[in-house]
Amino acid sequence: MLNLFAQVVYLAAAEGEEPEGIDLVLPEINELIGGVIAFAVVFAAVWIWARPAIRRALETRQQAIAGQLEHAEEAKAEAQSLLEDYRQQLARAREEANRIVEQARHQAEGVRADLLAKAEAEAAERRRRADEEISAERERLAASLQDQFRDFSLEVAQRAVRQTIDRDAQLAIIDSTISEIGGLSLSPDGERS
Amino acid sequence: MTAEARIDGYAAAILEVARGEEQLDRVGDELYRIARAFESSVELREVLGDPRVPADRKLGVIDDLLGERVSPLTLNLVSFVVSAGLAVELPAIADRLAERAAAETGKVIAEVRTAVDLDQETLDRLAEALARATGKRVEVKSVVDPSVIGGLVARVGDTVIDGSVKRRLDDLRQQLSR
Repeated sequence: MLNLFAQVVYLAAAEGEEPEGIDLVLPEINELIGGVIAFAVVFAAVWIWARPAIRRALETRQQAIAGQLEHAEEAKAEAQSLLEDYRQQLARAREEANRIVEQARHQAEGVRADLLAKAEAEAAERRRRADEEISAERERLAASLQDQFRDFSLEVAQRAVRQTIDRDAQLAIIDSTISEIGGLSLSPDGERS
Repeated sequence: MTAEARIDGYAAAILEVARGEEQLDRVGDELYRIARAFESSVELREVLGDPRVPADRKLGVIDDLLGERVSPLTLNLVSFVVSAGLAVELPAIADRLAERAAAETGKVIAEVRTAVDLDQETLDRLAEALARATGKRVEVKSVVDPSVIGGLVARVGDTVIDGSVKRRLDDLRQQLSR
Protein backbone atom coordinates (compact mmCIF):
# COMPACT_ATOMS: atom_id res chain seq x y z
CA MET A 1 0.00 0.00 0.00
CA LEU A 2 2.86 2.39 0.80
CA ASN A 3 4.38 1.68 -2.56
CA LEU A 4 1.12 2.36 -4.32
CA PHE A 5 0.74 5.66 -2.52
CA ALA A 6 4.31 6.64 -3.37
CA GLN A 7 3.78 5.90 -7.02
CA VAL A 8 0.60 7.93 -7.15
CA VAL A 9 2.38 10.90 -5.54
CA TYR A 10 5.30 10.53 -7.92
CA LEU A 11 3.10 10.43 -11.02
CA ALA A 12 1.17 13.41 -9.83
CA ALA A 13 4.33 15.42 -9.40
CA ALA A 14 5.63 14.30 -12.77
CA GLU A 15 2.52 15.57 -14.66
CA GLY A 16 2.78 18.97 -13.18
CA GLU A 17 -0.78 19.70 -14.07
CA GLU A 18 -3.38 20.59 -11.58
CA PRO A 19 -6.52 18.42 -11.91
CA GLU A 20 -9.88 19.86 -11.65
CA GLY A 21 -13.42 18.58 -11.00
CA ILE A 22 -14.00 14.91 -10.95
CA ASP A 23 -10.37 14.54 -11.96
CA LEU A 24 -9.48 15.51 -8.50
CA VAL A 25 -11.01 12.24 -7.41
CA LEU A 26 -10.32 9.93 -10.32
CA PRO A 27 -6.74 8.73 -10.74
CA GLU A 28 -4.93 8.72 -14.00
CA ILE A 29 -5.25 5.43 -15.83
CA ASN A 30 -1.55 4.79 -15.84
CA GLU A 31 -1.41 5.52 -12.19
CA LEU A 32 -4.27 3.21 -11.69
CA ILE A 33 -2.61 0.40 -13.67
CA GLY A 34 0.66 0.88 -11.86
CA GLY A 35 -1.12 0.95 -8.63
CA VAL A 36 -3.06 -2.16 -9.50
CA ILE A 37 0.13 -3.91 -10.57
CA ALA A 38 1.95 -2.81 -7.51
CA PHE A 39 -0.97 -3.87 -5.37
CA ALA A 40 -1.07 -7.21 -7.16
CA VAL A 41 2.65 -7.71 -6.66
CA VAL A 42 2.43 -6.83 -3.05
CA PHE A 43 -0.72 -8.90 -2.65
CA ALA A 44 0.90 -11.88 -4.37
CA ALA A 45 3.98 -11.56 -2.24
CA VAL A 46 1.91 -11.36 0.84
CA TRP A 47 -0.32 -14.23 -0.33
CA ILE A 48 2.62 -16.42 -1.22
CA TRP A 49 5.02 -15.78 1.62
CA ALA A 50 3.21 -14.08 4.44
CA ARG A 51 -0.03 -15.92 4.35
CA PRO A 52 1.38 -19.39 5.20
CA ALA A 53 3.41 -17.89 7.95
CA ILE A 54 0.42 -16.06 9.27
CA ARG A 55 -1.66 -19.15 8.81
CA ARG A 56 0.90 -21.32 10.67
CA ALA A 57 1.10 -18.70 13.36
CA LEU A 58 -2.67 -18.64 13.64
CA GLU A 59 -2.86 -22.42 13.65
CA THR A 60 -0.12 -22.58 16.21
CA ARG A 61 -1.89 -19.98 18.20
CA GLN A 62 -5.19 -21.79 17.75
CA GLN A 63 -3.61 -25.07 18.76
CA ALA A 64 -2.02 -23.42 21.74
CA ILE A 65 -5.31 -21.92 22.75
CA ALA A 66 -7.06 -25.22 22.11
CA GLY A 67 -4.39 -26.97 24.19
CA GLN A 68 -4.75 -24.41 26.90
CA LEU A 69 -8.47 -24.77 26.76
CA GLU A 70 -8.08 -28.53 26.91
CA HIS A 71 -5.67 -28.18 29.81
CA ALA A 72 -8.08 -25.78 31.41
CA GLU A 73 -10.89 -28.27 30.92
CA GLU A 74 -8.74 -31.04 32.28
CA ALA A 75 -7.71 -28.85 35.15
CA LYS A 76 -11.29 -27.91 35.72
CA ALA A 77 -12.35 -31.53 35.57
CA GLU A 78 -9.51 -32.46 37.86
CA ALA A 79 -10.42 -29.64 40.17
CA GLN A 80 -14.01 -30.75 40.01
CA SER A 81 -12.94 -34.29 40.77
CA LEU A 82 -10.75 -33.11 43.60
CA LEU A 83 -13.56 -30.96 44.86
CA GLU A 84 -15.90 -33.93 44.66
CA ASP A 85 -13.34 -36.10 46.42
CA TYR A 86 -12.87 -33.40 48.98
CA ARG A 87 -16.59 -33.14 49.49
CA GLN A 88 -16.89 -36.87 49.76
CA GLN A 89 -13.99 -37.01 52.19
CA LEU A 90 -15.50 -34.16 54.12
CA ALA A 91 -18.84 -35.95 54.19
CA ARG A 92 -17.15 -39.17 55.27
CA ALA A 93 -15.16 -37.26 57.85
CA ARG A 94 -18.33 -35.71 59.14
CA GLU A 95 -20.03 -39.06 59.20
CA GLU A 96 -17.04 -40.57 60.94
CA ALA A 97 -16.93 -37.71 63.38
CA ASN A 98 -20.64 -38.07 64.02
CA ARG A 99 -20.23 -41.80 64.39
CA ILE A 100 -17.32 -41.35 66.81
CA VAL A 101 -19.23 -38.76 68.78
CA GLU A 102 -22.28 -40.98 68.86
CA GLN A 103 -20.19 -43.98 69.82
CA ALA A 104 -18.47 -41.96 72.54
CA ARG A 105 -21.84 -40.80 73.75
CA HIS A 106 -23.10 -44.37 73.82
CA GLN A 107 -19.96 -45.48 75.60
CA ALA A 108 -20.27 -42.65 78.07
CA GLU A 109 -23.88 -43.57 78.67
CA GLY A 110 -22.87 -47.21 79.07
CA VAL A 111 -20.09 -46.30 81.50
CA ARG A 112 -22.43 -44.03 83.37
CA ALA A 113 -25.08 -46.72 83.50
CA ASP A 114 -22.49 -49.28 84.62
CA LEU A 115 -21.14 -46.96 87.29
CA LEU A 116 -24.64 -46.16 88.43
CA ALA A 117 -25.61 -49.82 88.52
CA LYS A 118 -22.39 -50.68 90.35
CA ALA A 119 -22.93 -47.91 92.86
CA GLU A 120 -26.51 -49.00 93.38
CA ALA A 121 -25.42 -52.62 93.77
CA GLU A 122 -22.73 -51.63 96.27
CA ALA A 123 -25.18 -49.52 98.17
CA ALA A 124 -27.68 -52.37 98.20
CA GLU A 125 -24.96 -54.77 99.35
CA ARG A 126 -23.92 -52.38 102.11
CA ARG A 127 -27.53 -52.02 103.18
CA ARG A 128 -27.95 -55.79 103.15
CA ARG A 129 -24.80 -56.31 105.22
CA ALA A 130 -25.82 -53.58 107.60
CA ASP A 131 -29.24 -55.18 107.95
CA GLU A 132 -27.64 -58.56 108.54
CA GLU A 133 -25.24 -57.13 111.10
CA ILE A 134 -28.03 -55.33 112.85
CA SER A 135 -30.15 -58.46 112.81
CA ALA A 136 -27.25 -60.61 114.02
CA GLU A 137 -26.39 -58.08 116.70
CA ARG A 138 -30.00 -57.97 117.78
CA GLU A 139 -30.09 -61.76 117.94
CA ARG A 140 -26.79 -61.85 119.83
CA LEU A 141 -28.08 -59.26 122.24
CA ALA A 142 -31.32 -61.17 122.71
CA ALA A 143 -29.41 -64.42 123.21
CA SER A 144 -27.01 -62.72 125.59
CA LEU A 145 -29.87 -61.25 127.58
CA GLN A 146 -31.57 -64.61 127.57
CA ASP A 147 -28.38 -66.31 128.76
CA GLN A 148 -27.85 -63.68 131.43
CA PHE A 149 -31.43 -63.99 132.57
CA ARG A 150 -31.16 -67.77 132.59
CA ASP A 151 -27.87 -67.74 134.51
CA PHE A 152 -29.23 -65.18 136.93
CA SER A 153 -32.38 -67.22 137.48
CA LEU A 154 -30.40 -70.39 138.00
CA GLU A 155 -27.99 -68.63 140.32
CA VAL A 156 -30.92 -67.38 142.37
CA ALA A 157 -32.45 -70.84 142.36
CA GLN A 158 -29.12 -72.38 143.36
CA ARG A 159 -28.70 -69.95 146.24
CA ALA A 160 -32.26 -70.53 147.31
CA VAL A 161 -31.69 -74.27 147.29
CA ARG A 162 -28.46 -73.93 149.24
CA GLN A 163 -30.18 -71.80 151.86
CA THR A 164 -33.32 -73.83 152.17
CA ILE A 165 -31.86 -77.31 152.02
CA ASP A 166 -30.90 -78.27 155.57
CA ARG A 167 -29.28 -81.47 156.76
CA ASP A 168 -32.59 -83.30 157.09
CA ALA A 169 -33.53 -82.34 153.56
CA GLN A 170 -30.07 -83.39 152.38
CA LEU A 171 -30.42 -86.77 154.02
CA ALA A 172 -33.92 -87.19 152.63
CA ILE A 173 -32.65 -86.56 149.11
CA ILE A 174 -29.74 -88.93 149.70
CA ASP A 175 -32.07 -91.62 151.02
CA SER A 176 -34.26 -91.20 147.98
CA THR A 177 -31.23 -91.47 145.70
CA ILE A 178 -30.02 -94.59 147.54
CA SER A 179 -33.41 -96.20 146.98
CA GLU A 180 -33.21 -95.35 143.28
CA ILE A 181 -29.67 -96.75 143.05
CA GLY A 182 -30.85 -100.01 144.61
CA GLY A 183 -33.36 -100.40 141.81
CA LEU A 184 -30.83 -99.87 139.06
CA SER A 185 -29.13 -102.52 137.01
CA LEU A 186 -25.96 -101.05 135.57
CA SER A 187 -23.76 -102.30 132.82
CA PRO A 188 -20.05 -102.27 133.69
CA ASP A 189 -19.26 -99.14 131.68
CA GLY A 190 -22.67 -97.51 131.64
CA GLU A 191 -23.72 -94.26 133.18
CA ARG A 192 -27.02 -93.71 134.89
CA SER A 193 -28.21 -90.66 136.65
CA MET B 1 11.65 -95.59 138.34
CA THR B 2 8.51 -94.57 136.57
CA ALA B 3 5.79 -92.50 138.20
CA GLU B 4 3.42 -95.46 138.18
CA ALA B 5 5.98 -97.68 139.89
CA ARG B 6 6.70 -94.98 142.42
CA ILE B 7 3.00 -94.51 143.17
CA ASP B 8 2.57 -98.27 143.47
CA GLY B 9 5.56 -98.52 145.78
CA TYR B 10 4.39 -95.79 148.15
CA ALA B 11 0.84 -97.17 148.17
CA ALA B 12 2.11 -100.64 149.04
CA ALA B 13 4.35 -99.28 151.78
CA ILE B 14 1.57 -97.24 153.36
CA LEU B 15 -0.72 -100.25 153.12
CA GLU B 16 1.70 -102.41 155.02
CA VAL B 17 2.35 -99.78 157.67
CA ALA B 18 -1.37 -99.14 158.22
CA ARG B 19 -2.13 -102.83 158.32
CA GLY B 20 0.71 -103.35 160.78
CA GLU B 21 -0.79 -100.67 162.98
CA GLU B 22 -4.24 -102.20 162.42
CA GLN B 23 -5.58 -98.86 161.16
CA LEU B 24 -5.92 -99.70 157.51
CA ASP B 25 -9.58 -98.67 157.18
CA ARG B 26 -9.16 -95.42 159.04
CA VAL B 27 -5.90 -94.47 157.36
CA GLY B 28 -7.33 -95.39 153.97
CA ASP B 29 -10.43 -93.26 154.49
CA GLU B 30 -8.51 -90.31 155.86
CA LEU B 31 -5.94 -90.40 153.08
CA TYR B 32 -8.74 -90.60 150.52
CA ARG B 33 -10.45 -87.53 151.94
CA ILE B 34 -7.16 -85.64 152.18
CA ALA B 35 -6.46 -86.51 148.55
CA ARG B 36 -9.83 -85.13 147.44
CA ALA B 37 -9.30 -81.98 149.45
CA PHE B 38 -5.87 -81.63 147.89
CA GLU B 39 -7.40 -81.97 144.43
CA SER B 40 -10.07 -79.36 145.06
CA SER B 41 -7.79 -76.76 146.68
CA VAL B 42 -5.65 -74.77 144.28
CA GLU B 43 -3.83 -73.01 147.12
CA LEU B 44 -2.97 -76.30 148.81
CA ARG B 45 -1.62 -77.73 145.55
CA GLU B 46 0.45 -74.63 144.92
CA VAL B 47 2.01 -74.64 148.39
CA LEU B 48 2.66 -78.35 148.76
CA GLY B 49 3.59 -78.89 145.12
CA ASP B 50 6.01 -75.96 144.82
CA PRO B 51 9.61 -77.25 145.10
CA ARG B 52 10.78 -73.76 146.14
CA VAL B 53 8.74 -73.94 149.34
CA PRO B 54 10.87 -75.42 152.13
CA ALA B 55 9.82 -78.84 153.44
CA ASP B 56 9.49 -77.47 156.99
CA ARG B 57 6.90 -74.97 155.86
CA LYS B 58 4.97 -77.66 153.97
CA LEU B 59 4.98 -79.88 157.03
CA GLY B 60 3.80 -76.93 159.13
CA VAL B 61 0.89 -76.38 156.76
CA ILE B 62 -0.04 -80.07 156.94
CA ASP B 63 0.14 -80.08 160.71
CA ASP B 64 -2.03 -76.96 160.92
CA LEU B 65 -4.64 -78.38 158.57
CA LEU B 66 -4.74 -82.00 159.69
CA GLY B 67 -3.20 -82.11 163.13
CA GLU B 68 -6.38 -82.58 165.10
CA ARG B 69 -8.59 -83.97 162.36
CA VAL B 70 -6.82 -87.18 161.44
CA SER B 71 -5.02 -89.92 163.26
CA PRO B 72 -1.35 -89.43 164.12
CA LEU B 73 -0.45 -92.29 161.78
CA THR B 74 -2.23 -90.67 158.85
CA LEU B 75 -0.56 -87.35 159.64
CA ASN B 76 2.84 -89.03 159.71
CA LEU B 77 2.24 -90.84 156.44
CA VAL B 78 1.13 -87.64 154.70
CA SER B 79 4.16 -85.82 156.08
CA PHE B 80 6.33 -88.67 154.84
CA VAL B 81 4.96 -88.40 151.29
CA VAL B 82 5.24 -84.60 151.24
CA SER B 83 8.79 -84.72 152.64
CA ALA B 84 9.71 -87.06 149.79
CA GLY B 85 8.63 -84.33 147.35
CA LEU B 86 5.63 -86.32 146.15
CA ALA B 87 2.83 -84.03 147.32
CA VAL B 88 1.43 -83.71 143.81
CA GLU B 89 1.13 -87.49 143.65
CA LEU B 90 -0.63 -87.80 146.99
CA PRO B 91 -4.11 -88.21 145.36
CA ALA B 92 -2.84 -91.00 143.10
CA ILE B 93 -1.13 -92.74 146.01
CA ALA B 94 -4.32 -92.51 148.12
CA ASP B 95 -6.41 -93.88 145.23
CA ARG B 96 -3.95 -96.75 144.68
CA LEU B 97 -3.95 -97.51 148.38
CA ALA B 98 -7.76 -97.65 148.43
CA GLU B 99 -7.81 -99.88 145.35
CA ARG B 100 -5.24 -102.25 146.84
CA ALA B 101 -7.04 -102.43 150.16
CA ALA B 102 -10.39 -103.03 148.50
CA ALA B 103 -8.94 -105.59 146.11
CA GLU B 104 -7.60 -107.65 148.99
CA THR B 105 -11.20 -108.11 150.16
CA GLY B 106 -12.62 -108.54 146.65
CA LYS B 107 -14.18 -105.08 146.58
CA VAL B 108 -14.12 -102.12 144.25
CA ILE B 109 -13.96 -98.50 145.33
CA ALA B 110 -17.15 -96.45 145.14
CA GLU B 111 -16.47 -92.74 145.53
CA VAL B 112 -19.51 -90.93 146.85
CA ARG B 113 -19.67 -87.16 146.90
CA THR B 114 -22.25 -85.42 149.08
CA ALA B 115 -22.73 -81.91 150.40
CA VAL B 116 -22.92 -83.20 154.00
CA ASP B 117 -21.17 -85.89 156.02
CA LEU B 118 -22.86 -89.25 155.96
CA ASP B 119 -23.26 -91.46 159.01
CA GLN B 120 -22.16 -95.07 158.94
CA GLU B 121 -25.67 -96.42 158.62
CA THR B 122 -26.29 -94.36 155.51
CA LEU B 123 -22.92 -95.41 154.10
CA ASP B 124 -23.79 -99.07 154.67
CA ARG B 125 -27.15 -98.71 152.92
CA LEU B 126 -25.43 -96.92 150.09
CA ALA B 127 -22.85 -99.70 149.78
CA GLU B 128 -25.62 -102.29 149.63
CA ALA B 129 -27.53 -100.33 147.00
CA LEU B 130 -24.40 -99.84 144.87
CA ALA B 131 -23.55 -103.56 145.22
CA ARG B 132 -27.03 -104.49 143.97
CA ALA B 133 -26.81 -102.05 141.09
CA THR B 134 -23.31 -102.98 139.95
CA GLY B 135 -23.20 -106.63 140.96
CA LYS B 136 -19.91 -106.00 142.74
CA ARG B 137 -18.87 -105.71 146.34
CA VAL B 138 -18.04 -102.08 146.92
CA GLU B 139 -16.18 -100.09 149.49
CA VAL B 140 -17.63 -96.61 149.79
CA LYS B 141 -15.26 -93.66 150.05
CA SER B 142 -17.28 -90.67 151.14
CA VAL B 143 -16.14 -87.18 150.13
CA VAL B 144 -17.80 -83.97 151.25
CA ASP B 145 -18.17 -81.72 148.22
CA PRO B 146 -20.33 -78.59 148.66
CA SER B 147 -20.54 -78.16 144.88
CA VAL B 148 -22.94 -81.12 144.84
CA ILE B 149 -25.47 -78.82 146.64
CA GLY B 150 -27.75 -81.74 147.47
CA GLY B 151 -28.15 -85.46 146.83
CA LEU B 152 -25.07 -87.50 145.88
CA VAL B 153 -22.74 -88.44 143.06
CA ALA B 154 -21.42 -91.98 143.10
CA ARG B 155 -18.59 -93.26 140.86
CA VAL B 156 -17.73 -96.94 140.63
CA GLY B 157 -14.91 -97.43 138.17
CA ASP B 158 -16.11 -95.77 134.97
CA THR B 159 -19.75 -95.81 136.07
CA VAL B 160 -21.14 -92.53 137.41
CA ILE B 161 -24.51 -92.23 139.14
CA ASP B 162 -25.39 -88.55 139.46
CA GLY B 163 -28.36 -87.83 141.70
CA SER B 164 -27.18 -84.40 142.75
CA VAL B 165 -29.13 -81.16 142.86
CA LYS B 166 -26.28 -79.62 140.89
CA ARG B 167 -26.90 -82.04 138.03
CA ARG B 168 -30.61 -81.21 138.04
CA LEU B 169 -29.82 -77.53 137.89
CA ASP B 170 -27.37 -78.21 135.04
CA ASP B 171 -30.07 -80.15 133.21
CA LEU B 172 -32.42 -77.25 133.70
CA ARG B 173 -29.76 -74.87 132.39
CA GLN B 174 -29.33 -76.99 129.26
CA GLN B 175 -33.06 -77.17 128.67
CA LEU B 176 -33.31 -73.41 128.96
CA SER B 177 -30.40 -73.00 126.55
CA ARG B 178 -32.20 -74.87 123.75
